Amino acid sequence: MRSLIEALRGRPGPICAAVLILLFIAYAFVVPLFSADPFSMAGMSILDAFSPPVWMDGGTAAMPLGADDQGRNLLTAMAYGLRTSIMVGGISVVIGLVLGGALGLLSGFVGGRIDAAIMRLADVQLAYPALLLAMVIDGIATAALGRGRSNEMSIAIVTVSIGIAFWVQYARTIRSSVMIEREQEYVAAARVTGRTNTAILIRHILPNVMAPVLVIATINLGIAIITEATLSFLGIGIPATYPSLGSLIRNGNAFLQSGEWWISVWPCLLLVVLVIAVNVLGDHLRDHFNPKIRGRS
Amino acid sequence: MTAPLLEVRDLSVVLSRTERDLPVLDKVSFDIAPGEVLGIVGESGAGKSMTGVAIVDLLVPPLRRSGGTITLAGDRLDRLTPRQMRRVRGKRVGFIFQDPMTSLNPVLTIGRQLTDTMRRHLPVSRSEARERAISWLTRTGLPNPARVFAAAPHELSGGQRQRVVIALALCAEPDLVIADEPTTALDVSVQAHMLQLLRDLHEETGTAMMLITHDLGVIAKMADRVAVLYAGRLIETAKTQALVTEPLHPYTAGLMQATPAPDETGVMRVRAIPGSMPGIGAAPSGCAFHPRCGRAQDICRQTPPPLADAGGRAAACYFPLHREAQP
Amino acid sequence: MIIYTVGRILQTLLVLLVISFIAFLLVATLGDPLGILLPPEASLAERQELILRLGLDQPMLGRFLHFLWGMLHGDFGLSYRTQQGVGAMIAARLPATIELAFVSLLVTLFVGVPLGIVCGVKPNSVVSRGVMLVSIAGITLPNFVVGVLLIAIFSVQLGWFPSFGRGHTVDLGGWTTGLLTVSGWQAIILPAITLAAFQVTFVIRMLRTQLLEVGQSEHIRFARARGLSERTVWFSYAMRNALLPTITMLALQLGNVIAFSVVTEGVFAWPGLGSLFLQSVQSADIPVIAIYLIFVGAVFMIINLFVELSYPLLDPRLRKGRA
Repeated sequence: MRSLIEALRGRPGPICAAVLILLFIAYAFVVPLFSADPFSMAGMSILDAFSPPVWMDGGTAAMPLGADDQGRNLLTAMAYGLRTSIMVGGISVVIGLVLGGALGLLSGFVGGRIDAAIMRLADVQLAYPALLLAMVIDGIATAALGRGRSNEMSIAIVTVSIGIAFWVQYARTIRSSVMIEREQEYVAAARVTGRTNTAILIRHILPNVMAPVLVIATINLGIAIITEATLSFLGIGIPATYPSLGSLIRNGNAFLQSGEWWISVWPCLLLVVLVIAVNVLGDHLRDHFNPKIRGRS
Repeated sequence: MTAPLLEVRDLSVVLSRTERDLPVLDKVSFDIAPGEVLGIVGESGAGKSMTGVAIVDLLVPPLRRSGGTITLAGDRLDRLTPRQMRRVRGKRVGFIFQDPMTSLNPVLTIGRQLTDTMRRHLPVSRSEARERAISWLTRTGLPNPARVFAAAPHELSGGQRQRVVIALALCAEPDLVIADEPTTALDVSVQAHMLQLLRDLHEETGTAMMLITHDLGVIAKMADRVAVLYAGRLIETAKTQALVTEPLHPYTAGLMQATPAPDETGVMRVRAIPGSMPGIGAAPSGCAFHPRCGRAQDICRQTPPPLADAGGRAAACYFPLHREAQP
Repeated sequence: MIIYTVGRILQTLLVLLVISFIAFLLVATLGDPLGILLPPEASLAERQELILRLGLDQPMLGRFLHFLWGMLHGDFGLSYRTQQGVGAMIAARLPATIELAFVSLLVTLFVGVPLGIVCGVKPNSVVSRGVMLVSIAGITLPNFVVGVLLIAIFSVQLGWFPSFGRGHTVDLGGWTTGLLTVSGWQAIILPAITLAAFQVTFVIRMLRTQLLEVGQSEHIRFARARGLSERTVWFSYAMRNALLPTITMLALQLGNVIAFSVVTEGVFAWPGLGSLFLQSVQSADIPVIAIYLIFVGAVFMIINLFVELSYPLLDPRLRKGRA
């Protein structure tokens, strides 16, 4: 954490990005504490349906960004949607990290046939973009688990799908780190003194792979959030009856034609700003922890 | 003496920076007569290459020409528009680059690079250009020229590539060739052959040559006259024979004692003289050589010595090694 | 060279075989052909007979070979959703997707390449700086957001182009084309721009980086020292060097382009392969998903192979000594 703060010192762009991300997180997790879930009956008020933003004719101060077709206050609905998006993005990154990390460690430590098998699988997977793969996994999960699925289950499916789609990068990074580190003298020394593999792993290898993995995770967080939004927008992720940035945009998209632009534009904007902030931070961390490419555009 | 082919007067080059410009070349003047070979010597960073590049206006920013005149057979090159300058390059002034490994376009055939250059400057048809290209490849001593014509650079050895580079510089029949360290990047075994080739082609075509090198051995073999550069200033010019036997400037004398050799960083340095040449923007007041000079007096530390002409040779020194040249 | 080519082709076929096997496993383990082909009241004997007929009692390997054999003869199985042959469904959707890809490639070539050259040749000009600034949007905006924004501006606000569908199409002996009617062209413009947004940005940035690098190289300085015109220097000499890495990187991005085509088709209800794939994912139509996977993998790898094998045409360094 200290090195993270160190990495940001004196860099206005990345600092702004980090502050924005913190603000978004606060918005996403604090607003729901004080408002009724707009996707429950209590949160909807059909009388306010299609209420425009406050500065337009017919707007009300109670709903500064307007309301959607069900009369949901967009300011609250977006907080709920953002919460889902951040959680899906974050948890899927953790799933990808744990899965990729485990396979990468296995590959690097054991080597031989297991290594070859895991790496070939990675090669085949790389023929497909993560977005497409996440769609396929989502489809397979739906087929395996049955079609009539609940909101919670579809969220879990989307999260796991995205997580699985992203394991390769972590596995490769960790594998190469392990392969380099295990040849180092201190690891040999630790082994001679009777340390177990697990102890060596935690004491020596983990600290060395933290920085690159952290960088990949930050960059992947942005991609994961986009992937969730894309899947939900296309109707194969989180259903429209549950809020996420993607499902909000999908919902609003239906009313774009009839002029109620605010229903889709606000969540679009929120998504874009969030993703740009995450990318700026990720790029900066990558440059900071990889001195070789520092200073290049 | 016939009218010079190239007249360079007070040529100055600076490294542009936001705070202030740093001088790289400081009022360098010299002539080259038609058919003459002028050697330019100096250590790395003395400004030899800059002189050549500045003449054909190929300085890369932040380097830029800040003053002086360049006259080629009566035409002021320093006043030409970029478009006119492109007609001079290759056609009237050929340029031989130092490193044959990087000077040729890796994805185009040798023939294409030669014919493009000829067709740009000479009124020749495609087939004539091809014939001439093959004839040039033959003249530069390449075996099987028809095969080389169709070859890509990577198929040739370093020495062969340098022969191609020479053919490229000469193929539009320029009056003047600037050769920037034409043998430095080559194997020692190939260097002698390359010098012989340059010598032969020079005699055949009668073209004048500006030979930039740090190697006095090369100068002794090739040059009619020599100009010595130190820290961006011309400090001595003389006929090769006179310079080698009776150097006037103490620095030139030091050069004679030890041909510069690469130091641990690969930079050519004169080891016989204590200290090292000041870098860009770090020249001391007065004569730039005074901190390393055993003969330096107060005046050397205050005012830079002018290049004093004395009987066809000149040296910028208040206390030259041979009395008769003293200003 | 020939040995190398054959080797690469065999390697590609091997990977395709692995992908086919994974796809087959999906169909074999997740599919329920009996439930689709038989009425619910079918007797046990009827079930038994169908199992025998479809070879479902065979070992996995035998069934896989059967699956491959079928594919080689144009039998790609039946869709759970529509009960139609998957091959016919894909064939019907293919023209729309190919036309979309083609037009977006045109956009990439006629917008991306010139702008990339401008940014590489004159990196400090106002135009270049503007282009680079806008290109940030092309990189960070999610593909579907680009589509939504284009619809909001050009079909809702300005009403210039339709927001969905292909317009009028003409049937040319099994190939339905929208490129012969005005409404077809109107309909394809927004989706093509959406799909091209990523590639255009990518080409601009790659060409710029490459040209800046090549422009400083020694052989370009030498070309200038020989008096070659700026046009020759940039277009015949520098471009040749910059093109190869750009094409390589673009070919590596092909997978992303395929994924984005799914998104684009979804946004614009474009009746192509991507929409078919989306519908299949929504309804868990495993046979179609499986064949689509094989199809995309094959296209991806064949184009990559093609690009790789055509390198020697662009770079003589690669012409010899590869065997």
